[in-house]
Amino acid sequence: MIGFLRDALDAWRGGGTYSVAVPPMDGALRPNQALEEADEALAIEAPDNLTRFGERVLFSSGRAVHALEARDGGFAASRFAQFDAPVSAMAADSNGGVVVGLGSGKLVVRGGKHDGETIDKVGDRRTMCPTALAFVDSDTLLVALGSQQNPPEKWKHDLMQRNASGSVWRVKLGGGAATCLADRLAFPYGVYPAADGAVLVSESWQNRILRVVPGAKPTVLLADITGFPARLAPRADKAGAWLAVFAPRSQLIEFVLRERDYREQMMREMDDEFWIAPSLAAPRSFLEPLQGGALKQLGILKPWAPTRSYGLVVQLDDSFEPKLSFHSRADGRRHGITSCLELGGRLLATSKGGDAILSLSISDAKRK
Amino acid sequence: MSTSEVYDRWRSRLFPDHVIGEILSKNWIDNAIPFLFLIVTITTFGTILPNFLAVGGLSDQARELGEIVFVVLGMTIVMLAGGIDLSVGSTFALSNFVMLAAFNWQHLPVGVAIGLALLSGAIVGLVNGILVGYLRLRAFLTTLVTLIIVRAIDDTLVLKYSVAVGALNDSSNIWNFISDGDFYGAPPVFIVAMLVAIVGHIFLTRLRPGWHILAVGGSRRSAHNAGLSVRRTVAMTYVMSGIAAAAGGVFYASRLASAGASTGVGLEVTALTAAVLGGNSLGGGRGSVAKALLGAVIVLIINNSLVRMGLKSGAGSLVLGIVLLVAVGIDVRWLKNRLNVLSAVYVSPSYFKMLPCPSTAEGSDSVYALNDKLRDVELIGLGEIDGAEDPLLDEDDHLYFGNRQGDIIRYFGPDHKKSEIYAHIGGTPLGMAFDRQGNLTTCVAGMGLYQVRKDTREVIKLTDETNRSWFSIIDDSRMRLADDLDIAPDGRIFFSEATVRFDQHEWMVDALEARGNGRIICYDPRDKSTKTVVPNIRFPNGVCLAHDAKSIYYGTTWGCTVERFWIEGPKAGSVETIIANLPGYADNINRSSDGHYWLAIVGMRTPAFDLALRKPGFRRRMVRRVAQDEWLFPQMNVGNVIKFTDKGDVIDCLWDKRGVNHPMLTSCNEHKGYLYLGGVYNNRVGKYKIPGADPTFTNQRSYWGAKA
Repeated sequence: MIGFLRDALDAWRGGGTYSVAVPPMDGALRPNQALEEADEALAIEAPDNLTRFGERVLFSSGRAVHALEARDGGFAASRFAQFDAPVSAMAADSNGGVVVGLGSGKLVVRGGKHDGETIDKVGDRRTMCPTALAFVDSDTLLVALGSQQNPPEKWKHDLMQRNASGSVWRVKLGGGAATCLADRLAFPYGVYPAADGAVLVSESWQNRILRVVPGAKPTVLLADITGFPARLAPRADKAGAWLAVFAPRSQLIEFVLRERDYREQMMREMDDEFWIAPSLAAPRSFLEPLQGGALKQLGILKPWAPTRSYGLVVQLDDSFEPKLSFHSRADGRRHGITSCLELGGRLLATSKGGDAILSLSISDAKRK
Repeated sequence: MSTSEVYDRWRSRLFPDHVIGEILSKNWIDNAIPFLFLIVTITTFGTILPNFLAVGGLSDQARELGEIVFVVLGMTIVMLAGGIDLSVGSTFALSNFVMLAAFNWQHLPVGVAIGLALLSGAIVGLVNGILVGYLRLRAFLTTLVTLIIVRAIDDTLVLKYSVAVGALNDSSNIWNFISDGDFYGAPPVFIVAMLVAIVGHIFLTRLRPGWHILAVGGSRRSAHNAGLSVRRTVAMTYVMSGIAAAAGGVFYASRLASAGASTGVGLEVTALTAAVLGGNSLGGGRGSVAKALLGAVIVLIINNSLVRMGLKSGAGSLVLGIVLLVAVGIDVRWLKNRLNVLSAVYVSPSYFKMLPCPSTAEGSDSVYALNDKLRDVELIGLGEIDGAEDPLLDEDDHLYFGNRQGDIIRYFGPDHKKSEIYAHIGGTPLGMAFDRQGNLTTCVAGMGLYQVRKDTREVIKLTDETNRSWFSIIDDSRMRLADDLDIAPDGRIFFSEATVRFDQHEWMVDALEARGNGRIICYDPRDKSTKTVVPNIRFPNGVCLAHDAKSIYYGTTWGCTVERFWIEGPKAGSVETIIANLPGYADNINRSSDGHYWLAIVGMRTPAFDLALRKPGFRRRMVRRVAQDEWLFPQMNVGNVIKFTDKGDVIDCLWDKRGVNHPMLTSCNEHKGYLYLGGVYNNRVGKYKIPGADPTFTNQRSYWGAKA
C-alpha cells in the first residue's frame, strides 16, 4: 500500500523512478574534444567491432569484415571476409579463429580449430541479437545476446520498448554445452572476461557494468554511467578496461522512456530515425527532433547543447571507476563510438555514427 | 482517435488551463492564502460556537477590531520597510494613560488630550526610529528594550495615578460619542480605522513616501543606490507605528476609561501575528493594508472565539503563538516557492492536431522538395550582425534591420560594406516597412509600434496599447510581442502581435502551448486609434498587404498556415485560409516582383513535435520535469523560402540544404532582382539573385508608386 502511494506520488511530482535526472559529466568525465580532434585512421561506413587478430586489427562494416593495415603513414582497409547479413559482433582468438555474430541471428566461425561452425541457438534461445563476443580460450566463447525481441539493428526499438530480455552465455565450441551466465538483462552490449574467471558485462539500457560469476547473482561494478555503454576492451597495462559509450543519456529521452502513451504512439507512427531516442549519428535530417538548447545562435551550435548523439570513450581503472575520458560533443560528428582498441600507445575507436575509425595518442590526449 | 486523445481535445477546448498560471502571476495572489485561512477560521468557529455571527456581538467586536487595526497597520508599515516594532503594546498602554490623564484628570479639552496621547506615541516611535534608522541598531532588540522601558514608565505612572485618571469626566459630547456612540450602527473607532486604512492604502500604493518604504523594505541597498534616504524612511516608519499604536490606545481609553497594568500586554504578538498571517512578509517589501486588515480580522476572530470557548488565557496565547509560527512558515515557503510554482504551471499546452506534413524529400515531386538553390548566396555583414529579423531596403539600396541591442542598423548601398546605427529604439525591432513618406515603421518587441522619421530620425511611438479583451486575466491591452506590420494605402497599419503570454526571449515556448495567443491589430493614424481585428491566432507573423491592397496576408507560425484577412470590399473583416498545411513554420511574407508573395519558413515540422502537439499532458509534464534547455522544440535549425500566388498555390521553394548560412530564416525581401534573407538568431544577411526577376522592383514603388 505504501509502495503504491509512493509510486503515485512519484509519478505526480516526477521523483523516484519517475525522475529524469541524468548524472552530469564531471570529474574524470569532464568534456574535452579529444575524439573530435583525433586523427582519422580510416573513413568507412559504419565501422564496428575493432578486434585484435594476432598482429592485425579487424573490424566490421556492414556485411564485411576488414583488416586495418598501416600503409604510408596512414591506414587502409583490406577485405578479410564477407557475410550474407550485417556483422553485429566479432571476436578472434590467438589460434587464428574468428567468430562473428550476424544480424540474421547466427554465429559463424571462420578459420582456426572450429572453422565453419555455425550456431543459431544457445541453450533454449535463438541467437537473435548477438551484440558482443569474446573468447575465453580457443574452445570457449562468451556470447552476449542483446534481446530476444529485436535484431541488433533495431536496438532503438528494444530501448523504447523497455525490454530486458538479453542474456550472457558461455558456449563450448565444437558442439559443447552452453551455460547461461546471466539472464533478463537490459541489452548487454559488451562482454569482457576478467582475469579471475568472472565476466564483466555492460548492460546498456541500465547504464551500468555488471560483474557476472556463474551461479551467483550479478553484482553492479559501475552504475549510473552518463550514457549507454557499448563494448569493453582490455587496456595494455591489463588494469581496468576501456569502455565505449555509444550514446548519451538526456533528460528528454529519460522523460520519454517514462511516457508510455507518447512512446508507443511514436513507435507506431514514426520512422525510428525521427524518434526522440538516442542516436548513433549527429542529426542528418531536419525531421529529427530538436531540443531548445540546440538552436543555432549566430550560426553556431554550442558544444554543450542537448544532444541525442555523442562520442565517448572512458578509461576505467582497476576498481572500475572512470579515470580518463575522450569526447566528441554536441557540435561534433564523431558520434556513436561502439568499440575501441588500444594499440601501441594509441587508441583506435570506431565512430559508427561518424563513419570513421579514429586514432589518438593516449598520452597526448591525457596531457591536454 | 483514442479516448485519451478525445479527452485531451475536449479538455483543451473547454477548460482554460492557462488561466491558472495567469492568476498565479498576479500580485494579488499573495492574498489568497490569508483569505482561505479567514474562510477556514470562520467556518471552524462558526460550527463550534453557537451564535458565532450574532448581530449583538458584532458592534463590540467592531470596536475591538478598530483598535487592533491601528496597531496592526503600524506594525505592517514597519515590517514593509524591513523592520519590526515590538514596543506597540507599551506605546498603546502609555497612550491610554496619557489620554485619560489629560482628559479625566487634567481636564484638558478632548482635542488637546488626543493630540498629547498621539504625541506620546510619536515620541516613542521617534526614539525607536533614531535608534534603528539612524544609529542602525537591531530593530528586534531595540524595540524590545523600548517595550520594557515604556512598560516600566507606564506601570510606575499607573501605580501612582490610576485612581486619579479613572475619575470620569463627562464634559465632552465628542468623547461620549467616541466612547459609545454609533454612526449608522458602526462604532466611530471602526469608521476611523477604516478611513485610516484607506488613506494608508493610498499612501502605500500611490504616494512617493509609501513607495520609498516598499523600496527600502525590498532591498535596502538598491534603495540607497537609487538615492533614497534609507535611514529617514526607516525612522519614519517607527514614528508612524508609534502614532498608530497611540491612536489605538486613545480609542481603548474611550471604551474602558481605566488604566491598568495589563493594558496592551501581549499586543505586539497579536499585531505581529495579524500582520504576518495577512501575508505581509517578515523580510519587508511585500505587503499591503488589505493584508493587514485581513490578518487583524482573523486574529480577532481566533482570540474572541477562544475566549468564548472558555479557554484559559494562557491557552489563548499558545494558540496564537502556534498560528504565528505556521504563518511565518507559510510566509517563508510561499515567498521562496511562488515563482517556482508559477514557472511550473505557467506554460499550459493545449491539444492541437495538424494535418499530415507534406513531403520535403529530395527528388520527390513535392513542391517543397529539398534543393540547394540558396547555396551561393552573397553574405552581408557576416559576424557583425546580431540578429536581423526583417531586412528592408529603401529606394537608395540602403539596408535596414533591427538587432538585439535595440538599434536599427543601416548598411549603406549598393555594396553593403559599411554600416551605421540608424536609430536607437531600445527594444528589439522586428518587422519593418516604409510608409508613403519613407518613414521607417517598425514593430518593437516588448514596446509596440514605432516609427523613425525619415528627415530627423526622431523615434516616435505610434501605439503600444489596444483594447483589452473582456475575459482575459492578464492585461492584454499592453503589447507584448508586436511582430510584423504592413501599411494600407489609406495609412492604416496592420500588424501582428505574436503572443500575449510570452516575451521576445522565450517566444518559442509559445510553440509548446500551441494555443491562439496572438492577434492582428490595426492602428489607424487618422484618429490614432488601435484595435484588435483578429484575436486568438497561433502566433501570427508576417503581415503583407496584397498587391491589390484589398486584403492582408499573414502566416500563423505554429498553425503552419497562411491566412488572408480582407480589409476592403464585400468580404471586409473576414478571414480565409490560403495555405492550410505548410511543411514548416510560417514567418514573414513579402511581395515579389512577379505579382506573387515570398514566405520565409522559419523552421520545419518534425514528426516528434507534431505528435507532441496532440499530447498536452506530455508537454505539460515535460515542462515541469525537464530542464528548459532540454525541452522538445520545433525544428528551428533549418528553414526555407517559398513563393505563393494570391490563391495560395506554392510555385517555388528555395532551400539552404547544408544549413550553414541560413539555418533559420525569418524573412525574405525582394529588391531590384535580389532576395535579401534574414534570421532573428543569425549573424549575416544573405543576398540571393533571383533568376529572371524584375531588376527595377522595389517595395516602395510596389506600394507607393514611382517617386513623384
